[in-house]
Parts: sequence; structure tokens; C-alpha cells
Amino acid sequence: MEKSIIRLQDVWKTYQMDKVEVPAVRGINLEILSQTFVSIMGPSGSGKSTLLNMIGCLDFPTKGKIFLDGQDTSLLSENQLAQTRGKKIGFIFQQFNLLQHLTALENVMIPMVFQGTPEAQRKARALYLLDLVGLNDRVNHLPSELSGGQRQRVAIARAFANDPELVIADEPTGNLDSQSGQKIMDMLVEFHKKEKGTIVVVTHDPVIAKYSEKVFNIIDGQIVQNHKQAENILWQ
Amino acid sequence: MAIIKEYFKLAIKNLRNRKLRSWLTIFGIVVGIFLVITLISLSGGIKNSILKQLNSLGGDVILVMPGAIDNPIATFMGGQMLSEEDILTIKKVEGVDVVLPTSQKSQLMRYNNEQKVIFLVSFPWDEGKDFLSTFQGWSLSEGTWPSPGKREILLGSLVAQKDFFGRRIRVGDAATINGRTFRVVGILNSIGSKSDDTSVYLDRPVYQQVTGERDGSALMIMVKAKEGVSPDELAAKIKKALDEVRKRKRGENVSDFSVLTSEKMGNIAGGIVGVIQAAVMLFASISILVGGLGIMNTMFTSVRERTKEIGVLKAVGAKNSAVISIFLIESGILGLIGGAGGVIFGLIVAKLIEGYSRASGSFLLEAYMPASLIIFGLFFSFLIGCLSGYLPARKAAKLRPTDALRGYE
Repeated sequence: MEKSIIRLQDVWKTYQMDKVEVPAVRGINLEILSQTFVSIMGPSGSGKSTLLNMIGCLDFPTKGKIFLDGQDTSLLSENQLAQTRGKKIGFIFQQFNLLQHLTALENVMIPMVFQGTPEAQRKARALYLLDLVGLNDRVNHLPSELSGGQRQRVAIARAFANDPELVIADEPTGNLDSQSGQKIMDMLVEFHKKEKGTIVVVTHDPVIAKYSEKVFNIIDGQIVQNHKQAENILWQ
Repeated sequence: MAIIKEYFKLAIKNLRNRKLRSWLTIFGIVVGIFLVITLISLSGGIKNSILKQLNSLGGDVILVMPGAIDNPIATFMGGQMLSEEDILTIKKVEGVDVVLPTSQKSQLMRYNNEQKVIFLVSFPWDEGKDFLSTFQGWSLSEGTWPSPGKREILLGSLVAQKDFFGRRIRVGDAATINGRTFRVVGILNSIGSKSDDTSVYLDRPVYQQVTGERDGSALMIMVKAKEGVSPDELAAKIKKALDEVRKRKRGENVSDFSVLTSEKMGNIAGGIVGVIQAAVMLFASISILVGGLGIMNTMFTSVRERTKEIGVLKAVGAKNSAVISIFLIESGILGLIGGAGGVIFGLIVAKLIEGYSRASGSFLLEAYMPASLIIFGLFFSFLIGCLSGYLPARKAAKLRPTDALRGYE
């Protein structure tokens, strides 16, 4: 039987802007099966990044429950959440978010540091991952010495460092030219095949959807079931 | 433990990443710790030399000094003296064994075409010789004691040494003091305190001729009690006798002199040094506080600048405790390096002052620098670093990952 890695149960997220409550996510129910490649699509401001942050245990829902691997995340302490993020989830950001004064190798090793992985093992794993993203000749370069595409490849390697069950990518190609973007997406698909695990990509670029096994469309904080309708809105 | 090592590496990388600011912050701590170490070292040195001086007096010696005891510094500075009459009065007190009036003055001494400032100290040799060698542990390394009334001098051990006048002084050599020629008849073994060892000793009448001091006056009178007489009781008797004589002959009705046992002297000196040390510590701790605020400021700025980085660390699995640890280690390192710099500078400056005091010869101040002082300096600065880093570190740890990742925009 297929296992669900993520299950959202009537999840709401409301931001307080001055005195007005702005709902960003409004009662989303969603299930993502283990080892699938899923896209969450929607125009900017639709609440997709908020949704992703909650899936990634970076943020809490205002209402509703999120189950990660069967575990209700609202019951976890801050430290347990950090532990869960480190162990089970890998992040890829639009802004790459590498640590500027660490080399590519050190950046990939960082998540393993917090898991207490021994140094030799950390290094071997990081070198293996950097080799997979084709950066074996750039391991000792600082992010400032790498191109945007190369930085995102380092970020991908970092996301897979602790062999996570779930990798979430927020607009991973948003800051790249189309050629680099293409390469990054190919790489994610490649990783998905090789390292297994679930991949959730958030994007407003419909082209990316073609890589996915399943697409969720989100508009105004809600999932739109009708794909056609969603596309129409997106293309407007 | 292994993980702490990793945090250490990260912290050092972060500090290196903003070298100039790190060094400036460290400099703030260096100044504070430097002040503390220098001042503690020197005031400790003052205390030690006073205690040494007192110890060299011997336990049951009574000192009679001019001036009231409530202001001993003014007495030393004011040039008050005890008179011949005082000496005679004390000699008559029952229970007194030896009475040794002594005076001292800085004088220029010339030898081997070099001129140096020495302390010229006078004792009456006929009585003094036995007293000093029996009770104060003075001994000759060469030559003999000066004969009373002759122009003969006895040198402290350091005066005779080669590096004092550029040539070793031998018994039989001639030296000039205040334009008069003296023959060196003896050289002492080290007495213990540096100022005693850099003094030149001669007979009292000769001293008075050389310095032109009034006949019979003395800067201080040392009194030795007879066997079985308690120093405290004898001190009381001496005070009473002096009061009576002074009142009768000069109409004084306030005791303008002090009679002190060496124990009492120790307490007074300890009290003065204690006050100096307390004042020193107060000022030094203010400067350390300022240094600590510097660290706090730097760390707060750093938290602000690195908000996004903290977000990334949290996203990849750093617990709050890990973020706190990294920031605390950073501020601790700032404190520790600052402390090490301060300790090194402080000890160097204390040594320089000691060297200067030795070279000038007019006062002697030995820097006091035990290992405990160094350890205290390092530990204290590390503690300051951690304490001032705590609030910024906690602020960093408390950031919510999503807010942190967004950064301050």
C-alpha cells in the first residue's frame, strides 16, 4: 500500500497585518504520497509559499493539522521540529540561501553537522552529492565564486545531505535563466529517481508541472480541483 | 563534544568573516583587561614590598615615628623628625633593650664615573651592629662593619653588583657621596627587600655631617624589648613617657608621634593598600563593562546581519541550543582573545614600570604576577564575552525560521 508522507487536514494560516486579518491559506486538505514528485502551482500571492513553509515545518498553521510521516507536527516542540527538519526534510530555496563564508563542500556538510554525523562520513557524503550535481571540481569554492546555476546545484546537494524523505523546493528556478533552470529541474528529477524520496516543488511556472506526477493548483489560499479552470486563471 | 568542535569552527569562520569589527571589539576588551592586570599587578607589588619591609623588621620590634598615626603618608612626606630628647626618653623607659634611631635620604653616589641615586641610611654602629645582625638577619658577604665616627660605608648587596655602577665595587674602593669621599669597608648579603639592597649604610654622626641634618634627629626609632617584655605593653609605656616629656618640655598636649608594633604597622599598611586596590578595581571594572557592551553591540549587529543565515541554519536542522551555542562561542572567543591581549599588554606594562622604577632608583615597585592573576584575567574575559553574548544569542535563537529566512528587508 502506498504510504502518505504529508497529510494536511483543514489547514488555515492567517497573518495579522496591522489590525486586519489576512488569510493566506484557507482550509486546505491535501495528501502527498511517499516517493512522488509533486508540484504546487499558483500565481504569486496565492499562499503557495506559506503552504510550503508549513509542510516543511518552518511555520505552524493557525488552524488545522499537518501530519508528516504520520506524526502530528503541531504536537512537536521547537527542538523536535528542528530535529525533524534536519533529518527528514531538505530545502531548496529560490534565493539558494547558501552560507556565504562556507565553501560548497562545507555548505553541503552543514545539515549533517547538526545531526552529529562523524566528519569523515560527512565529507564522503558531501563529495558524493557534489559529484552527482557535477560540481566535483568546485567543492572548495565559495558561493560568491559560483554562478547562479552552480549555487542552486550546491543547494540541491545540501537538500539531500541527510537522505531526507521529503525535499521541498520553493521556486527553485525562479532566479535562473531558462537554460540553467532546465538543468536544475533535470537534476531534481534525476535525484528523485536515484535517491528516491518525495519531492514537492512550488512554482508559478506551468512548464515545471510537466516534470511532476501530480499537480496541486492553489488560488487564493485554496486548492482548485478543476485543472482546466486553474490553468485559465494562471494564463490570464 | 564533537559537535561543540564543529560549532567552534563555524564561530571562528564567522568572526574571520568580519575581521575588522572583531578586532575592534577585541580591542575594547584588551583595554579593560589590560587596565585590570596592570593595576592589580602593581598594587599587589606595593603590598608585597610593604609586607616584606615589615617582615624584615622582625616580629617584636617597636617603631616610633613622628606624626600622628591617622595620617602616616603626610608624615613621610612632611619631613617631620624625632628629636634627640625623644631618643633619650625612650632609652630610659623600663624594659627597653636596644634603641636604634635611623634616618634615610636619597643621595647621589658617584663611582666609576657614574652617578646614581641611592638611599643613604644611618644607624649608630656601636649599638646597631649587634641588633641588626642578631635580630634582622643582616650579614656581611665581604669586609667588616664600619667603625663608628669614620667615613666608612656599608653597601647593600645590589649596589655592589656590576650592573649597578657598571663595575663591581670591592671592599677598599672609594666612592663619592654628596661631594665627600668614603671608603667601602663592607658589603652586605641580600637583606630581602630590593630597597634595602639598593641602600648604602653609614654611621649616624657621619650621616648627619654629610646630609647637614640637625644633630640628634631621627626619621624613625626602632626599639627592641628586653627578653620577656611584651611589645604591646612596652609600646604603651613608651607612648606615655614621650607624652609626659613632650608636655613638660614643649607644652604639647597632643601626641604628635606614633608608637607602633610591627603587627599594627602591617594592619595599617594593609588597610591603605586595600583602599587603593578597591578604587583600582572599581575603575577597571567600569572599563571592562564598557568592553562587554562593545561585545554585546557587535553581537546584536551580527544577529541582525545574519538573520537570513540563522534561518538557513534552522531550516537545515539547527536547534535553538545550537544557534545559542554558536553565538556564545563567538562572543566568548572575542572575550578570550581580548583577555589574552589584555593580560599580555598588562604584564608587559607592569614589567616596564617595574624596570623604570628600578632604573630610576628613587622608588622600587616589583610587579606582582602570579599564575592565578593570568588565569583570572583569561577566565574573567571569557565570562564577560559569554555574558554579553547571551542576550544577542538568545535573540538569534528565538527567531522564527520563516521570519529569519525572509530577513530584515
